[in-house]
Amino acid sequence: MTAFAPAAAALVLAASVAATFLWRALGVFLARRLDPKGAVFRWFSFASFAVLAGLLSRLLILPTGDLATIGIEVRLGAAAIGVAAFYLSRRNLLVGVASGTLSFALAAGAMN
Amino acid sequence: MKPQDFRGGVRAGLRSAIGLPTLVLVGSLTGYGALAHDTGFGAGLAVLSTILIWGLPGQIVMAEMYAASADVLAIAIAVGMANMRFFPMAVSLMPTLHGEGVAGRLAQAQLMSATSWAYAMRSTAPETPSARLGYHTGFACLCMTVAAVATMVGYLGAAGLPKPLALALLFINACFLLLLLLDTKGRGAAFAVITGVVAGIPINTYLPDTGLIVTGIVGGTVGFLVDGMGQRERS
Repeated sequence: MTAFAPAAAALVLAASVAATFLWRALGVFLARRLDPKGAVFRWFSFASFAVLAGLLSRLLILPTGDLATIGIEVRLGAAAIGVAAFYLSRRNLLVGVASGTLSFALAAGAMN
Repeated sequence: MKPQDFRGGVRAGLRSAIGLPTLVLVGSLTGYGALAHDTGFGAGLAVLSTILIWGLPGQIVMAEMYAASADVLAIAIAVGMANMRFFPMAVSLMPTLHGEGVAGRLAQAQLMSATSWAYAMRSTAPETPSARLGYHTGFACLCMTVAAVATMVGYLGAAGLPKPLALALLFINACFLLLLLLDTKGRGAAFAVITGVVAGIPINTYLPDTGLIVTGIVGGTVGFLVDGMGQRERS
């Protein structure tokens, strides 16, 4: 679905790796000098969660790739089944993801 | 009896990794491999991204924004924001591991994932610094190996499986993120997540390039303010 040359993908990867490694290295160099529960770190942690929440909106509600070929009602329905299974299994991530994904596969299979 | 030395720590780390941590990795990284295929990454780059970024949410951000043809700088900032948690995690984990050289510490920081951090911080983890170093090394190396293989399997699966199954592999990413975010603790995190999901819809519709960055700043600040209010009430 994309016409990018492999070089562009490699550049995106290199930039993403650098952006991630920066935080790991900062943690190594500033360990013992910072309080992991301090105000800045609390904002960091919430902003990370919010980025992932925005990502969830993109994947579930505004998908761009092949997922867009499946209706939003199927995506949200399968997600709801995953959430229900997650809580019924006492927050077992594996059971939740497997149930949601399996429901999605069945619905997608029935439609094709 | 907890292990006291490095080698005992490695064995304990490998034992801890076998089971739930590796199973979750197999499921989630298979989904990522499929996403990497769907968004146009090569198989080699997909596996490399798992090893070198080594933080699934950031990897999904990268693949998703790459598919949306976002600017490289915007992708790097969004991935960096998704992975900011590695900073406080390294700050709290590194002093508990034995190690003198900077290279060794950077290697441990690169091996660190949300899972390896959580397991190394559990009360059942070894206590002496050398055993902890072995524990984290063994745990994380096994996880990384399994994750790299799972990425490749998901990539090949997306290329070769019938359409509904290939789509289901892609759907793993959304399902995994959803449950990960449901499992967060505290009022601040809850508000950050709810704001991010709700505000994320219009923001990402109008700003496909920088939407995740804006969502992170808005949602993170809302969560921070709500959390601050909660802290004042408690004190």
